[in-house]
Amino acid sequence: MTAADLHRREPGHVAQPAAGTRSDRAAAAWRLASLYLVSRRAPMALALLAGLGAVQWAALHWHWSIAGGPAARLFLPLTVQTGAAAVIAVTTYGPFGESERAASRCLPWLRAGAVVALTGAAFGALAAGAAAGGLPGGTLALLRDLGGMTGIGLLSAAILGGAFGWVGPMAFLLITEGALAHRSVTPWVWPTRPPDDRGGAICACLVITAGLVLLTVRGPRDARGEPGPAS
Amino acid sequence: MAATTSAPAQHRPPRVSSAVPRGAARLLSVELRRNAMPWILPLIAALFWFDSYRPSTGTAPLYSLRTFWNMGQGHTIIDFGPFVAGVAAWMGSRDGRRGMADLVTATSRPHWAAQLTTWAATAIWAVAAYLVFVGIMFAMYARQGVGGAPPWWWVAVGAMAVAAFSAAGFAIGAYWPTRFAAPVAAFGGFLAMVTSSQTGFSHVNGWAQILPTNSNGNFGNPLTDAGIFYPWMPDVPIVRIMFLAGLAVAALGLTGLPARAGGRGLRRAAALIAIAGVALAGTAVGLTTTARLGPHGIVIPALHDAASDKAVTYTPSCDRAAGLPVCLNPAYRRWLPDVRDALAPLLVELSGLPGAPVRASQVAADNASSPPAITFGGHPPALRMSLGQLNLPGQCGFCRGPVASTQFADEMRLLTAHAFVGAGAGVGSPVQQAVQAVLLNAAGVPFAAQPRAIAAAENLPKPAPGTTGPVYAAARRLDALPVAARHAWLVAHLAAVRAGGLTLADLP
Repeated sequence: MTAADLHRREPGHVAQPAAGTRSDRAAAAWRLASLYLVSRRAPMALALLAGLGAVQWAALHWHWSIAGGPAARLFLPLTVQTGAAAVIAVTTYGPFGESERAASRCLPWLRAGAVVALTGAAFGALAAGAAAGGLPGGTLALLRDLGGMTGIGLLSAAILGGAFGWVGPMAFLLITEGALAHRSVTPWVWPTRPPDDRGGAICACLVITAGLVLLTVRGPRDARGEPGPAS
Repeated sequence: MAATTSAPAQHRPPRVSSAVPRGAARLLSVELRRNAMPWILPLIAALFWFDSYRPSTGTAPLYSLRTFWNMGQGHTIIDFGPFVAGVAAWMGSRDGRRGMADLVTATSRPHWAAQLTTWAATAIWAVAAYLVFVGIMFAMYARQGVGGAPPWWWVAVGAMAVAAFSAAGFAIGAYWPTRFAAPVAAFGGFLAMVTSSQTGFSHVNGWAQILPTNSNGNFGNPLTDAGIFYPWMPDVPIVRIMFLAGLAVAALGLTGLPARAGGRGLRRAAALIAIAGVALAGTAVGLTTTARLGPHGIVIPALHDAASDKAVTYTPSCDRAAGLPVCLNPAYRRWLPDVRDALAPLLVELSGLPGAPVRASQVAADNASSPPAITFGGHPPALRMSLGQLNLPGQCGFCRGPVASTQFADEMRLLTAHAFVGAGAGVGSPVQQAVQAVLLNAAGVPFAAQPRAIAAAENLPKPAPGTTGPVYAAARRLDALPVAARHAWLVAHLAAVRAGGLTLADLP
């Protein structure tokens, strides 16, 4: 095989039009984005988020709640939001590893775009699930809590690997439960604060921003070939 | 290599008896080394400290109170279970995720056996970590001088729950080998525990006793004396272990049903195992429906052992108050000075009156009949204190704040005077209330402070508030008498006061 052979077309090869026009570039971008989303199992994630929305609806419609005060009533919606954040975090796991990082120039944008799109879808699904009425804190609290927990999931994916990104939101749920039970009101455990609380909102925004930036720039930890939970 | 090929092959038949266990042990050791569970244990340890240990240190140093939150309400299980389920799902989905299912199926060992080894390694890590963490927590309690015996049966329930979570998570991963198996298993674990808490808090009896977060009838007031005056009742823990073991066995049996799991015989065995697991869990639920509340906790007649009702023998810790012996269970030794100081002024007032106690001793809290926390009984009469029903001085966990010694002393004096005048479980007759007020005033609880003390007492029915009614007017009249005259009137009329035969007008 010579270098010239590399340029020789395979028999039956159909030449692709040059990707020069705007529509061609848009088609290529769309194809890239859809391939990226499929490689991250985004369709399955969307189905799971829809399922979580249904759980939210059922919990509110049939009044599943822990006996106790207003704090106890928060816990079931928070569990559902944790599930959504966990699903989003797990989608960051990439199956291609180093080869994808080396070959793709726009991987950071794809990562960020996918996370933002899935978070938006999760918010939509859970807000639709809250249509049954009686969501503690309302839509504002849902946005803050889901956003913050997604941020924790992204940070967790950056540290532990995408496959174990679910661990962070689940751990945060337990911390929140302890804080609710013992009436702690630190803004870093924002679900314990009222929906219009500025401190809680700032902390949640900081966490999701940190998670998004870290994941966009560095990506999830790739544990292949090194010791770790996902190895 | 002619020399090698020409030499006769030396075939030694494998020693079946030792080769199979050795191979299994080797496989298990490989799985233990390559397991994801150890990586998650530091996080679980931090959560365990935050959610199970730290809140418990705010309660009184008695095992029944210290373990109310972490064992009774199942927080050690909540801290472990969902994470264990998630990691087990990750391990269970390993072959499928890596596209190795066909490769593993072609090996000499049945796929199901290999899967069970993977699960066993995961469960060993999880259960061992649970036992170590709980052991460390109990060691710290012992160092802090926590009184009573640890609830070992409930530790066994927690360990079995962790194993059951690992089996359920593993089955999810084996059947659905995707990246989402782990978060879905963990979320399912959380949802199960949350709904279990919801049902458990509101159901005292019946099937809900099977739920691992249900503390009703097993922990808390008035069962504070479990592990102190009587052993921890094992009936409910036994059915919970049966239930969780049944779920674990059923889940593992399910993983042996697919065609790739092994031969037909093996799959039949797996189906039988799954059915046996479901039957075991169903039997446990059935047994739980027969549960009833006994004096020392929940009793399940089919499992109950009379030995569980035997009182724990102990040498009481004693002191003297107003010349009378005051004796407590050694687990309550740290509160002996508080009890002595609380009783002394009142015992001085009661001295010489008919029915005055000759000693004060602690008795176990009775869960079934729930008598008042302080009663008089026996011949010669003794003051019987069920301290387990009271908020003792110091930290008390879910109170608004630490209980002050003065608050405890007021409650002790109030309950003692209430019992002494024969008011029993009710508010008492107006005369009994008036005499009670006089005795309390003499014992250092002024009239003005009494309504607050009565309002603060959790174990006493509340009379009309305030100190301006006819009861307190009569009490002030009696109190205005010289001490000797008042004492003489009480000696003469105390029997009638207890019988409820006097009116306020009969008071001097």
